[in-house]
Amino acid sequence: MSATVGEPPVLDVGVRANSGARFFASGAGSVLIKLYLGVFFVVLFAPIVIMVAAAFNAYPSPSITIWQGFTLKWFAAIFNDARMMTGLMNSLLIACGVIVIAIPLGLAGALLLTRLESRANGFLYTVLVAPIMIPGIVLGCTSMIFWRDAFGVDAGLFTAMMAQASFIASYCLLLFMARLSRQDRSLDEAAADLGATPFFTFRRVTLPFLAPTIATASVLAFLQSIENFPTTFFAIGPDYTLVTEIASRMRFGLSPMINAIGVIFIVVTVVASLIWASSRVRAERQARAGA
Amino acid sequence: MDGKSVELSGITMVFDGYTAVHPTDLTIPAGEFHSILGPSGCGKTTLLRILSGFQRPSRGHVLIGGEPVDHLPANRRPTAMIFQSLALFPRMSVRDNVAFGLEARGMGRRERSQKADELLALVALEAHADKRPDQLSGGQRQRVAVARALAVEPAVLCLDEPLSALDLKLRQHMRTELRSLQKRTGVTFIYITHDQGEALTMSDRISVMNKGRIEQVGTPTEIYDAPATPFVAGFVGEQNVFAGRVTAIENGFARLDGPGGTFTGRRMVDVSVGDEAILMVRPERTGLAGPDADDGNRLSARVEGRELEGPYLNLVARDATGRRIVLHLANDGRAHPEGGPAVIGFKPEDAIVMTAARGAAEAAARVDGAGADTVGRLGARG
Repeated sequence: MSATVGEPPVLDVGVRANSGARFFASGAGSVLIKLYLGVFFVVLFAPIVIMVAAAFNAYPSPSITIWQGFTLKWFAAIFNDARMMTGLMNSLLIACGVIVIAIPLGLAGALLLTRLESRANGFLYTVLVAPIMIPGIVLGCTSMIFWRDAFGVDAGLFTAMMAQASFIASYCLLLFMARLSRQDRSLDEAAADLGATPFFTFRRVTLPFLAPTIATASVLAFLQSIENFPTTFFAIGPDYTLVTEIASRMRFGLSPMINAIGVIFIVVTVVASLIWASSRVRAERQARAGA
Repeated sequence: MDGKSVELSGITMVFDGYTAVHPTDLTIPAGEFHSILGPSGCGKTTLLRILSGFQRPSRGHVLIGGEPVDHLPANRRPTAMIFQSLALFPRMSVRDNVAFGLEARGMGRRERSQKADELLALVALEAHADKRPDQLSGGQRQRVAVARALAVEPAVLCLDEPLSALDLKLRQHMRTELRSLQKRTGVTFIYITHDQGEALTMSDRISVMNKGRIEQVGTPTEIYDAPATPFVAGFVGEQNVFAGRVTAIENGFARLDGPGGTFTGRRMVDVSVGDEAILMVRPERTGLAGPDADDGNRLSARVEGRELEGPYLNLVARDATGRRIVLHLANDGRAHPEGGPAVIGFKPEDAIVMTAARGAAEAAARVDGAGADTVGRLGARG
């Protein structure tokens, strides 16, 4: 009796009917898909592995085929290289400035586009998102010329920051718009109805709702800024960031120091994302415990 | 807390050439529980949003407590609104939700928390003050919304179909609760609903709205027993409808000759001899006539379906002309088998006669719809 009751119904009819699924379930298909996965991961990760390995090779040009022994001297070299360190500081400075400018700009644009019920919305949207489509070179050059001619500001860190912020703000705008479109508009009305001024409503209702997106947009803005080359290169004039400095050294041949910088970036990114992910898991667990 | 009177004068709302609210006048005395009843899209929510200040009327004025408030935005009007979605702030505790309006007015933390706790006690939620809205049940969230609105001591509380998301039992319970809360606080309640049961049970007075116009304002009894228009008659409760021509008028009664027979009912204002008119009678005022009963109006029909509701019995009968007649009878133990003959009777004072000119087709359609619904249910049972 218990044997018949416990029997689950056989439901693999769909799989049998699907010839593709049957092929991949068979021996030959299984081998093929494993092979494909293998190639996929090799293409994805092999360059990184080689790049990382070369950072520890004593040979003075990035290589793993000519192995001259393990060394950490390329890492030490970064910290002894004044231009690299200045470039890094400049990059971080610009990135922080970009966050400060792009987040409020993007948020203001998103609020305007989601709240304003006007026929101009479509046009405004196009204008505000356009910087993403415009080539980086154009943004860089025009920013440099604009600040020089209109305000007498010479090309430098400031113009590079403004040039970057002009398109990074558009990315932030898209993130904020996606978030705001999911907000219940009656919350704003309820707040106003209870006597709240628009600013009070923004501070107590809208901003807490947007907080996770502000964090995400800041990370995105930071990464976009740090890795940006074309816009920065054409707007920065005589100054330089880590990325433009690395690029300019390409002309004289590469040093494994570049690989060492790459390794540091990878480690920082992986560690940061692990911390982020684990904090999310912890927050979710707390939320569930609280409920 | 003290309620204030509300006066709408010549309020009109036009959206892109479509008139959502035709010029409307309405006066609601302070402390009244007033329902605005109507089908969806009749303009009732627009009216409420104009009163609350979320929408500017195309024309007309709003007065609260005799003071014009046309120039005041929503956050400066002495009104509070309970939204259909409730619109509780999801990232705040229940206490902070209730205290929100006080916080917006700059009240200190201690003071506003204390006031919020008092209001939560009023709606019996003091034990849930530290929870978040999504940790509460539907009925509890409802009560938080009420407490939050009352916290700002509004003179007028606007409720936009606040019970529509609740299940039937809870809805009935909340009706009683809202009604008693209104009596205790003395705040003027303006309650928007499409549910005639809600409007009839809770309100001091009801405005029945249709297509952007208020068709009748009156007490629940007036609305139910003396509907001013065929729409009101058909929308509030069910009606059996007979069409015909008015052949005589005497002592406030009108006689109607139609294909189904000759019937007498109370004459409404604009009926005169020779008019095409309709006679309407409620299913619960329509009875089965005994052999010697003197009901005034009689017709022969055949029982087509029966539905037992326990204490009541609903019968659907059809007369020789094919007209469907619904009867709500007290369950006196008699069977009234399907297919059997029935003599149906109703008193002239229970029936009303109106001209068919305005909205009659509409009323008839609604009544037929209600009848079809009953028949449908009976069919499913049978």
